[in-house]
Amino acid sequence: MTRARRYAVLVLAVTALASGALRRAESQGVKPVDLDPATAAAIAPIIQQASAASLPVELLYAKAREGEVQRVPVARIEAAVRALFARVQTAHEALAPNATVQEIGAAADALKAGVPSETLREMRRAGKDGSLAVPLGVLTQLVIRGVPVERASVQVVDLLQRGAVSNHFIALDERVRADVVAGKRPDESLDLRMKGIIPNLPQQATADGAAIQATSPKRPR
Amino acid sequence: MREEHDELIGHIIEELKVLPAVPADATARVLARVDAARRGQGPSAVSDDDDVIFFPAATDEIAAQAPSGRRMPAAATAGGSRDGGLRRRFVVSLPAAIGYALAATLAGFLIRGAAMPKERTTVAAVTPRVNDTAVGTAGMSVRPAGAVVTRESQEKPVAVQFVLDAAAAKSVALVGDFNAWDGSATPLTRDSASGAWSVVAHVSPGRHVYAYLVDGKVLTLDPRAPKTRDSDYGTEQSVIIVGLQ
Repeated sequence: MTRARRYAVLVLAVTALASGALRRAESQGVKPVDLDPATAAAIAPIIQQASAASLPVELLYAKAREGEVQRVPVARIEAAVRALFARVQTAHEALAPNATVQEIGAAADALKAGVPSETLREMRRAGKDGSLAVPLGVLTQLVIRGVPVERASVQVVDLLQRGAVSNHFIALDERVRADVVAGKRPDESLDLRMKGIIPNLPQQATADGAAIQATSPKRPR
Repeated sequence: MREEHDELIGHIIEELKVLPAVPADATARVLARVDAARRGQGPSAVSDDDDVIFFPAATDEIAAQAPSGRRMPAAATAGGSRDGGLRRRFVVSLPAAIGYALAATLAGFLIRGAAMPKERTTVAAVTPRVNDTAVGTAGMSVRPAGAVVTRESQEKPVAVQFVLDAAAAKSVALVGDFNAWDGSATPLTRDSASGAWSVVAHVSPGRHVYAYLVDGKVLTLDPRAPKTRDSDYGTEQSVIIVGLQ
């Protein structure tokens, strides 16, 4: 191979790799975060642990930065980052083997809201290759709004099994929100609004509740 | 008249059916050399599976039989003089092949980036809505049958507009988990007509918490969005659930 061709190959390889890395970083929203030195020092051991476990450290950095913006003490920031690290670990395991950063972040939020890790596994199985970022976000929001976690989990898993996509989940969340604002009980609203979503899904149940019974996640321990 | 033409055409056909005279041993020798080359005995031994074009060699016998003024193809002549009548179609070294593969990958990458549709702007400070009467179709992204959609492709950031009415503010910035709570990452600009502050930020699909940083220090919630209490820091935050493009 001539020298010119060798250089050309090298330039192409470097360009392709750099371009891919930039786009990947951009798609994951990874940005450098400037932290106060005291905060950075406090969370450094946690970051090191997360890096060693191949967990997404940007979630931890963002949590620390959030604490600084909220002007909370460093000790509280450290505790929050440590708690998030534990949730990220659990989420990473539950959504294994190839969860995205967005999914892990959303799953960590769901765990914080009280969703059991078994539900995350059920959702991964039910959702097949689709991203769980939106379904997990809606599940979290339903639970925060007051829907019992078990009922919300069952319904979200059921929607995934029926082939629901992002906008179905968002529509469900919007309607439950409106109902709750109007004074309806969150769990009643969820059951009611499910009846409006399901007829539009690719896989409708053959008998009411059949699919739900077959896929209901285990009770949280 | 018509019969005369038919007779003439018949003569022409008969003449064309006569093959040119070829010495009996010439054909046998050509076939023997080709056979030897295919069995690996010639200078350009090849296997039966190799991608090789067999050109008839410019042997003396065939050349002698060729009509005057007609020439064999140059490539075949050159090949025949070197490797017994066999010419390889294409030879590429491994490093060059890697280079070509990388170039093709890069070209595909760039074309894909250029061909991707523009991001949709969700002109709402809260969750994008779906038509209440047609949930199954309104706002749905249509996917071609059989298309492979990766999770990463489903999580591409979506352009979302954030708006805050803060007429007295000197500066407003958007902070949230989607920009790592970086107060300098997403400043809002003031609309001179309405006095409202707004920005279009790129947010990945999913649930996000955020707030506005007014004048660099005061955290303000979005009055248009639902609120949630963060148990880690004990503060309230605005919530948005962003859908796919």
